[in-house]
Amino acid sequence: MNRTVLVCCGTGCIANGSLEVAEALRRAISETKTHAIVETVIKQTGCNGFCENGPIVRIMPDDISYYKVKPKNARDIVNSIGEKPVEQLLYKNDEGTPVLSQMENPFYMSQHKTVLRNIGEIDPGNLSDYLARGGYSALKKALFMTPDAIIREVESSGLRGRGGAGFPTGRKWRTAAGFEALPKYVICNGDEGDPGAFMDRSILEGDPHSVLEGIIICALSIGALEGFLYIRDEYVLARKYVQKAIHDAESAGILGGSIMGSGKRLNLSVVRGGGAFICGESTALMASIEGRVGEPRAKYARSAQRGLWNQPTVLNNVETFANIPIIINNSGENFTKIGAENSKGTKVFALVGKVRRSGLVEVPMGVSLRYLVNNIGGGVIDGRPLKAVQIGGPSGGCIPEAMLDLPVDFDSLTNYGAMMGSGGMIVMDDRSCMVEVARYYVNFLAEESCGKCTPCREGLRQMLAILTDICEGRGKEGDLELLEEISRALIGASLCALGKSAPNPVMTGIRYFRDEYIAHIMEKHCPAGVCAALTAFEIDASVCVGCTNCKRACPTGAVTGEVKSAHNINQAACVACGACREVCRFGAVRAIKRRFAV
Amino acid sequence: MIIEIDGKACTCSPGEYLLNIASRNGFSIPTLCHHDGLPGQGCCRVCIVEVSLRDRKDIVTACIYPVEQECSVFTDSDRVKRQRGMILALLRASAPESEEISRLCKMYDAPLYERLTQKANEKCILCGLCVSACETLGASAISSVNRGVEKTVSTPYDEPAADCIGCASCAAVCPTGAISVEENNSSRAIWNRKFTLQLCRHCGKPVGTLDELAFAARKTGVAQTTLCEECRRKAIADEMITAYER
Ligand SMILES: Cc1cc2nc3c(=O)[nH]c(=O)nc-3n(C[C@H](O)[C@H](O)[C@H](O)COP(=O)(O)O)c2cc1C
Ligand code: SF4
Ligand code: FES
Ligand code: FES
Repeated sequence: MNRTVLVCCGTGCIANGSLEVAEALRRAISETKTHAIVETVIKQTGCNGFCENGPIVRIMPDDISYYKVKPKNARDIVNSIGEKPVEQLLYKNDEGTPVLSQMENPFYMSQHKTVLRNIGEIDPGNLSDYLARGGYSALKKALFMTPDAIIREVESSGLRGRGGAGFPTGRKWRTAAGFEALPKYVICNGDEGDPGAFMDRSILEGDPHSVLEGIIICALSIGALEGFLYIRDEYVLARKYVQKAIHDAESAGILGGSIMGSGKRLNLSVVRGGGAFICGESTALMASIEGRVGEPRAKYARSAQRGLWNQPTVLNNVETFANIPIIINNSGENFTKIGAENSKGTKVFALVGKVRRSGLVEVPMGVSLRYLVNNIGGGVIDGRPLKAVQIGGPSGGCIPEAMLDLPVDFDSLTNYGAMMGSGGMIVMDDRSCMVEVARYYVNFLAEESCGKCTPCREGLRQMLAILTDICEGRGKEGDLELLEEISRALIGASLCALGKSAPNPVMTGIRYFRDEYIAHIMEKHCPAGVCAALTAFEIDASVCVGCTNCKRACPTGAVTGEVKSAHNINQAACVACGACREVCRFGAVRAIKRRFAV
Repeated sequence: MIIEIDGKACTCSPGEYLLNIASRNGFSIPTLCHHDGLPGQGCCRVCIVEVSLRDRKDIVTACIYPVEQECSVFTDSDRVKRQRGMILALLRASAPESEEISRLCKMYDAPLYERLTQKANEKCILCGLCVSACETLGASAISSVNRGVEKTVSTPYDEPAADCIGCASCAAVCPTGAISVEENNSSRAIWNRKFTLQLCRHCGKPVGTLDELAFAARKTGVAQTTLCEECRRKAIADEMITAYER
């Protein structure tokens, strides 16, 4: 039996040395004569989503996955082909049993891969791989459909934009198709500016043709002859693969002067992002493509009517486009069978934070946050109590543990003050301070706002100052009311969605964690022991075993004590960074309220 | 087409900006970043009003809101008052030196929040009009730099503005008088540069800076007069009179 060795070469695994692993595997295969009858090929794939356990190597069709593979393991892996698997490289499930297939790995087992269907299975740089898995069959089908029929299919799928706002995709296309003005444009938003998010990057890097296919189908339906993929500045690898995919599709006659011989044409090009978070906002993105400063533009006309160069334009997110081939192939009706009431299909999330298994995951919409955290994520690291899940990127919100049965869909999240955003999801344990979290995001937004309109620029400046005061013990009575009042002006009167959604982290914080805010303001106490100005650490001598971990972790040398005897913290030298608490495996370090000395 | 503003029926043509319609009908809506001769920016947000259209009520900025359908507009609803009050309060904290902002705060009852952090010695509210004016007239000597809370208006690299022609149009459109222009009998200082003034050959009053006149000559291809506005008008009038007398 011939084998294919899939080596994950997404950005995460490359950073962990997967290119060297691939090279070592190649060498091992050429050196191993025993496999003369078995032809083994190495294939570099996109991100498998489980980057923290990378580099990931899979043997197909045996379906054996190896994790944290080093070049030195190459020979063992090659020798094991057709024999006993290399046990030490297998993933151990929650019971500690090593598992072979991804389908037995709890991280993958609880997912539902639709958009990510090809990623990790194919070489993103190889068009034949995509074609072999049914790629471009939807395009072929679409070429025999009328534009109206294509749009009807997308409408009936109930697909909503995956870039954040959840606008119905079919309706957007319908509007753009309805305008006569030519030329029209189609744009793919691959700016992905949320800190920690890598959903779109993984799709662009791992399965670029699926995005192109969606874009081409959109162009056919609205009558656009030109399109752009606007890809974040830092995404070098993604741009490379997309560029190659465009080139290969053109050479194969799938794209360009005559799409699959239909006589219909589409010219696609890659635009490098402007390097700012705000460039992902639709009007800023278009300004950036037009060669102007990437700042939002105040206008009351929809982009579908007056978008790029004031012409009818459809702008959709990477993941939105990647859903299109599935809808056209399997019908909109079938697409609605997965997902929640008003949120059909699946959603890709970047599950990170204090969770045992983190990575890129795809689930049907409507599953609960708890399912994501527990079933896929395997619960909180070190079994600590789960405090909240931050969802929706910088303008999202923190959902408290008590509400984790909330289904993940556009409307539920919005109703509870968070938002779907593009799919960032950060799990937080009891050592996260909700005020500090809000301050962090408001700071991010204050820096990343374009600064053009008053409520956003000045409102965020003031909110940041107040939140910083609260974290540093200068909070005053009335601060929460003032934060809320400023928030109202941002939500109501900001020019673009950044300002309109920027208060979310603060508003959800005040709504669900009011006591924590009050403790900071009135008692000058940070219950989570995070805000350094309000916190001191002490070591419980009756629990401390003198392992010296904390002593070594302390950046200021404030911890004293001998091996195997209880340690002590010199408060004068302590900066309350909490490094000692973080490393203590015995729970001997406690955060206490700092006696206030201002 | 007829829309209703604060209960009064107002005629307008489709696509007309709400601010125009309102001013024509005697409503006063505060504005800061709007200037009749420059493209709409919609960034100061003090001109917000509430528009009720079908079953929705939205806050919009009157200066750039094109009226396309029949609607009712409220220039002083509770929502408008509250949000505009906060915007003005925020502006006051960001530009405590500006008399215009204080005046608007008083006029529109902006609450005084002592808790807000005040910027020291600041008049600029970053409305963008100066940059827009400079760009529109073609010099593009100043621009807004940085983003977010760090945004400011400046010359390239904070150096004396190389492309500045000293016309002071920026200062003329500035709603808060934030741009310093110092002028004496023979020169004008602006954006860290000093410009020599062309004096009227007739009355001796300044006509403009030498750079400004040269710039205009380059752009129009016509040599610029060295008469001031008043003397030029007089000269033309004199010429006409003599023409008729002849
Ligand atoms: C500040 C800001 C940043 C945004 N960044 C992105 C982004 O990185 N990627 C994205 O797809 N959409 C982003 N959006 C949303 C876009 O404006 C737009 O709604 C989206 O691309 C539309 O595509 P969709 O309907 O497929 O979601 C951002 C919006 C705002 C306000
Ligand atoms: S809301 Fe913020 S980001 Fe959007 S235009 Fe206003 S200042 Fe710029
Ligand atoms: S890059 Fe390999 S799992 Fe993400
Ligand atoms: S005058 Fe309308 S937003 Fe500034």
